This record gives sequence, C-alpha cells and structure tokens, in this order.
Amino acid sequence: MKIQNGYVHLVKTALSDFRRNKVRTILTSLGIMIGVYSVVLLIALGLGLKNYIEGQFNSMGANLIMILPGSGFTGEGGAGFGGQGTVGGVSFDERDLNTLERISEIDYIVPIVMKGASIEGDSDKKFGYVMGINDDAFKLMNVEMEYGTEFTKTDIQAATKVSVIGYTLAEKLYGNPSDALGKTVRVNDQRFKIVGVAKKKGDQQADGALYVPFRTTYASINPDKKFWAIYLGIKSDDILPTVKAKAEEALLKRYKADDFAVTEQSELLNSINQIFGIINMVLIAIGSISLLVGGVGIMNIMYATVTERTKEIGIRRAVGATQNDILQQFLTESLMLSIFGGILGLLFASLSVFAIRTFFPASVNLLAVLVSFIVPSAIGVFFGVFPARRAAKLSPIEAIRYE
Amino acid sequence: MISLQNVSKIYSLGEDIVNAVVDINLEIKEKEFIGILGSSGSGKSTLMHIIGLLELPTSGKIILDGKDISKLTDAELSKIRNKTVGFVFQSFNLINRFTVLENVLLPTKYSKERTPQDFTEKAMELLKRFGILERRNFYPNKISGGQQQRVAIARALIMNPKIILADEPTGNLDSKTGDEILDILKNLNKEFGVTVILVTHEHDIAAKTKRQIYIKDGKVVEKYL
Repeated sequence: MKIQNGYVHLVKTALSDFRRNKVRTILTSLGIMIGVYSVVLLIALGLGLKNYIEGQFNSMGANLIMILPGSGFTGEGGAGFGGQGTVGGVSFDERDLNTLERISEIDYIVPIVMKGASIEGDSDKKFGYVMGINDDAFKLMNVEMEYGTEFTKTDIQAATKVSVIGYTLAEKLYGNPSDALGKTVRVNDQRFKIVGVAKKKGDQQADGALYVPFRTTYASINPDKKFWAIYLGIKSDDILPTVKAKAEEALLKRYKADDFAVTEQSELLNSINQIFGIINMVLIAIGSISLLVGGVGIMNIMYATVTERTKEIGIRRAVGATQNDILQQFLTESLMLSIFGGILGLLFASLSVFAIRTFFPASVNLLAVLVSFIVPSAIGVFFGVFPARRAAKLSPIEAIRYE
Repeated sequence: MISLQNVSKIYSLGEDIVNAVVDINLEIKEKEFIGILGSSGSGKSTLMHIIGLLELPTSGKIILDGKDISKLTDAELSKIRNKTVGFVFQSFNLINRFTVLENVLLPTKYSKERTPQDFTEKAMELLKRFGILERRNFYPNKISGGQQQRVAIARALIMNPKIILADEPTGNLDSKTGDEILDILKNLNKEFGVTVILVTHEHDIAAKTKRQIYIKDGKVVEKYL
C-alpha cells in the first residue's frame, strides 16, 4: 500500500510536469520516438523479407532437392531461379536425367532450362522467362491451371510446340489472360501454341514465365541441349538425406565435386535468411544510433529540469524526502519520457507497416514490441540516472534557498 | 527533548572560513514556545537548520529524545524530519504546481506508514481550522501571503510533529496577518503542546514567546543588544 502510494505520487508528479511543459515533453520524446520507429520498421521489413522469401520457396513445393551447377547458391540474384545465382560449374544434360532415374526413391525428375527472353504475342513483345521443363514440373512446383490444360508426357516426348503461360505475362501480352488460350507466341523464331494459362502465384518470375516442353527448346532457344538445373521430387523428407547422397554419388562419376551442388530447400533458405539476418542487424544497429541521440536529449532536459526544480527538491527534502526518494522521482520522469517516446514510435511504425502491407508482407512481431519498451526503458534509466543523482545529492539548505 | 552540546558549524566560502555557529549549548524542553532572536547574519538560521536536521554540525552533539542524531544516515534523518519536525519558512516554500491540498499532503508521500485516506481527512480538518478549506483546490500563487503561510503551517502539522520550526514566519506578511500567524503558532503550543521554535530578528515578535534566546556572531549571548 505504502509503495503504491509512493509510486502513484511519483507518476503524478511527472505527469504534472509534462502537462506544464507539453512542447518540451514532446520534443524530448521525439528523439526516442524516431529511434524506436526506425528500429521497429527495420525489424518489420526484415521480417517481411523473410516471409516473402519463405513464401517463394513454399510456392515451389515441398520435398524438393535441387541439383545446381557450381557450389550452389551464392546469395546473389533470385531464389532458386535465375542463372545469376550460381557460379561456375557445369550444365547438365539428358545423360544426367538417365543416371538419376536409376535412383528408385525419386518420384519426379524435372530438368530446368531457364532463359530470359523477349516473348512476342500477336501485337506486343514482353520480357519473360522461358522455362523448359517436363510435365512433372507442374506438380513439383505447384503450378496449377487457371484456363486450359498442362502439357503432357506425350508433348515432352514428341517435343511439340505447346506452352503454358504465366498469368502476369498473359495479362501483359493479351490484356485478358483467358484470351491467351489458343494463341501463338514467338521466342527466338520458335513458335509455341498456348494450351494453358497458369494460376497467379504472386511470384514475379513464375507469373512472368512461359513454360515449354524442355526438348522443344533444343531448336533455337537451347541448341546445346543443356539444363541449368535438375529438380528432384521425393515422397517424404525422411528419405531426403538418402536421396541426396545417392544423387551426389551418381553424379560424381561424371563431374568433379566442385562442379555441382545437391541442395535442399531448407539449406538454401537458411543461407538466405542468414545473409538477410546480418543485413537487417546492421540496419537496426544504424537505426539504434538515433535511440542514443534521443537518450542524450533526455539527459539534457533532465539536467535542465533538475536546475529548474532545485527549490522544490529542497522543500521535499525538508518535509522528509530521502536522497533515494528524489533520485526515484527524476528517474521516473526520464523513464516516462523515454517510454512515452517508445510507445509513439511503436504506434507510428505499426501504422507504417499497416500501410505497406498491401504490397509487402512486413509485420510487427513480439520482438519489435518488446524492443520498443525495453530499449527506451534502459535508455531512460541510463541517461536519467546522472541528472537524478545530481538532484539527490543537492544539499537541502542550498536547494531551498535557490531562487 | 532537544539538547545541543558544544555545537559549531563552520563554512568555507572559497578561502574564507565562516563561523556560523560557535560552541552552542542549548536545551529545549517538550512543549516549549521559544524564540531565537538575532540580527541578520547572526547564525540563527543556521542554528535552526541544525535543530531541524537539515544540516549537520561541524562539531558537537545533538541529542533528540535521548538519541544522538549526529551519526544517522540520510534516510534516518529524513524520517525524523518527516515525522518529528515541521518547518514554516519566511517565504512559505509551497510548490506552485501543486494545489493547496496537495501541498499540505506532500510530507505524507514520504511517510512509510499510514494510508493516504486518513491523511486527506486530516488535511481537510487542518485547512478548515485555518479558514482556508474553500481554497483547497487553488494553486499557491492564487492565494494571499497570509493564506499561503497557513497552508505551510498545515503542511508542517500534517504528520503530527513534536516540533514546529518557524523561520521568520511573519517576515513576508503585513503586521495584522503576521499577528494572526503568530496566534496560530501560539495556539498550537498551548492547545496541542507542540514545541514551537520561532526564529526572528524582531523583538516584539520574540516577546510573544515564553522564552527567548539571543544569538550574536554565532554565539548565545545573555542579552540582545
């Protein structure tokens, strides 16, 4: 009871001071507010990036093993797609498909031919990705049809000139995606009849792709008959390590260990997350500088407040306040200033996150909320303790005589 | 109740050494109404601060209720100031951003004992007794000097102290209001047996007390000249 009474008085005293100095209070909290705002926003964006990447990976389907040239993913470029992401190494061909087919645990083997190209419709020309794949790829990569049908095993074997077009690309070329069905597109003087329009996946590369039977690309798009990657689909992830080992063993007969990499999604995901994690930490550290500056601002104002209230401190000491009581009073004030700034920062950051959510999956998590309370509290105490100690150490008599 | 034994207080102001209080021996009994009379700079205020435990003497002993207080910690001294002593100052020393009632209740915030409710009741009683109950929600700078000093006395009394230390309590008031304040102090002593120590430089004010002590150059002298 007595403690409660004491704290209520401390808070009331601080609030009465804030009320009298509204502008000063807000300006002082502003430093902390900006600091918390930037830190929370950076955490939210980092989280959003992570969500986005994970979403991309999940859209490719689970239980996926990727055989990539070079030492695998290097951290640049797109996730899983796009040859820029890999360095050196070999290109695979149909011999490798045959080798891998002998591994019985594998459900699907999907060769990936991947090429950025200009894709011509009836009247328009757009940049897109030509993806040479087989029929299993639709299941493996979770590509479903909005209109029309997928191409089939027969199309693969016969190297028919058919294609499935990504939703966005169809939209760009024909306006209404359903209009794309039955039309013919041209890539590198090769013609493909559109038999299917894929459902929108929210993945820029997948939605901008033109899927064609991989053997059909052998004509002029891919005359070397090489694959950029081979994806393997398995039934369950228990056998993932076994299959990985077997695939590696099989390919080692032909290639050197450094020339290719057998990776699974989670490995890729981990290394991507690690890289973005580090970038995010650096950004947050930079954002934290404004928190420090805010702390110095609070210290400055608290020193001024101590001077301004010297007489009051003397009066309080005369009626029985201990040094500790005075210390607590000023610490409470700096703490409240700082936490007030933190709450405002969190509030504005949440509003910003809410605003950008429409196009980016940023989110405020528990960590961000904790940070916006704990860090300002620590700053309030740390930067408040020096002015508060000065106040506590004042001689009661000198303080009471101060005008 | 209070006994000062060979108490001295020396200040150093830069290179100068000021003997504010020199070797004072003083005995103040319970329920006394005593005047400490001295001209400005005589050391009477320093003496009052020492009696009120706002300052510790450079040398000598202070015995309060049989206890030597010269060796107490800040927290212990603060507790005695809170419970046993009430101050009334010349310049009232109210906190302007708090209302009259909040000012009266200020000492209770540093008390570690009773609940706030019974203090509020007591504060209202005191304000009523001093005729300023209807001013309880006013801020100090909106009431007259006489009223402010009554608030200060109410604040001094809220913790039921044994001693009231009044340092030139009428110094900022006209003579009529000053007399009213003196009457209040006199009544406190008479009706409630509170020890009142009144510090002043005016003979006629000191004359209202039951016993006078004269201070000159930091020493107790026989007769004020």
